[in-house]
Amino acid sequence: MEKLIIELKTEIIKVLNLEDITIEDIGNDDPLFGDGLGLDSIDALELIVLMEKDYGIKLKDANQGRDIFKSILTMAEYISKNRTI
Amino acid sequence: MIINPIYINGIGSISIQKPLSEDGIFNPVSYDTPRVSCIEPNYRDFFTPAVSRRISKIIKRSIITAKHAISESGIEMPDAIITGTGLGCIEDTEKFLDSMIRNEEKFLKPSFFIQSTHNSISSQIAINLDCKSYNNTYIHRGVSFENALVDAALLFKQKKIDSALVTGSDQMTPNYFTLLKRIGYWADTVNDTLQFVRNTKTKGSFSGEGSISFMLSSQQNKNSYALIKAMDLFYKPTVPIEQKIEQFIQAQGLNIEDIDIYLTGMSGDAQNDKVYTDIGKNLFLSEKTAFYKNICGEFYTSAAYGLNVAASSLKKGIFPAHCLQDGKERKNTTHILFHNHFKNKDHSLILLNKCSN
Repeated sequence: MEKLIIELKTEIIKVLNLEDITIEDIGNDDPLFGDGLGLDSIDALELIVLMEKDYGIKLKDANQGRDIFKSILTMAEYISKNRTI
Repeated sequence: MIINPIYINGIGSISIQKPLSEDGIFNPVSYDTPRVSCIEPNYRDFFTPAVSRRISKIIKRSIITAKHAISESGIEMPDAIITGTGLGCIEDTEKFLDSMIRNEEKFLKPSFFIQSTHNSISSQIAINLDCKSYNNTYIHRGVSFENALVDAALLFKQKKIDSALVTGSDQMTPNYFTLLKRIGYWADTVNDTLQFVRNTKTKGSFSGEGSISFMLSSQQNKNSYALIKAMDLFYKPTVPIEQKIEQFIQAQGLNIEDIDIYLTGMSGDAQNDKVYTDIGKNLFLSEKTAFYKNICGEFYTSAAYGLNVAASSLKKGIFPAHCLQDGKERKNTTHILFHNHFKNKDHSLILLNKCSN
């Protein structure tokens, strides 16, 4: 799980162009949206693309995203259970 | 084309020269490569990290130059935002298309898509300024900036606006540079960009890039750079260009002898430059022939940098020696005829006068 968390943080920083942020700055439980990393709806689209492209997970219900994208930890847990690649 | 007087009251420039400064015109840097990139300002001084990550480099440049020009002019909000760009946000367009090809048209990246449209520049300037007035973008390769300028001139003439922010903006990616190199756009070797246009008459030029914004107004102020007295665009002229130029000058109550500087789009490419040298000889303007692409490089909207050179020189009262064919500085210039052509098909003429400050 720890390897997946680091991989996710690295990819999110790259994909979302998070200048000045390192993987150490993102806590596993920090909220990704709102007060935490401050991501927005366009970032959510980028995360959906990332999940499908890198892990073969296609979200069918947009409302699922609310729970999955709460934090890096929730993302990692969902990916480890549902990944197809 | 008859236009109302238009004053250039503010300029902002990011180019291969020092950003947001007239140093690039009067004390330019020289390079020894055929592909030269912009000297970037520190973007952290202008954008928060949250905003910065969402906008591409060309948009950042354009917003900064727009704000600089507006600030210089003393006008709070322009009545129109008009942008000319040959390639738009080409860097992000390439990223988007590249990702589309690599991923077999799946997993399309929303951020690259949003930033990859040509009119992102004009619209992002408006969003950043919170300006809800007229907004338009012109994409006509080598005459994109001139068309944006014509749009502003027509709006001034119709008295629909009293001010306009007009920007010329383009960037050069390694990929696009390579494509243009294949068709002979760029010289094989460049040893001194500053002397390149004067000394070189072979095939190809050197590439630059830049965003240059102008705050135009129907009213002169104490900081005005210059007056745009007249302008004209024509495509594949049916009469000799010399005749067109004479008519253009005479329509303003002037003679060819009244022109102090004939500022041209000479680039060091023999075929391109011959058009200007022939006109210079035929109209006895050879001694007054000047160029600007030796300090900004070749890009689709480089005419915006040329306008910057003309306006800044008129304001300062000095036309720099390194931009003149004979290498001799001119003082007290009053009338500058600014002429550009694109592939000898599209021509633009702009007559600039010194302001009577």
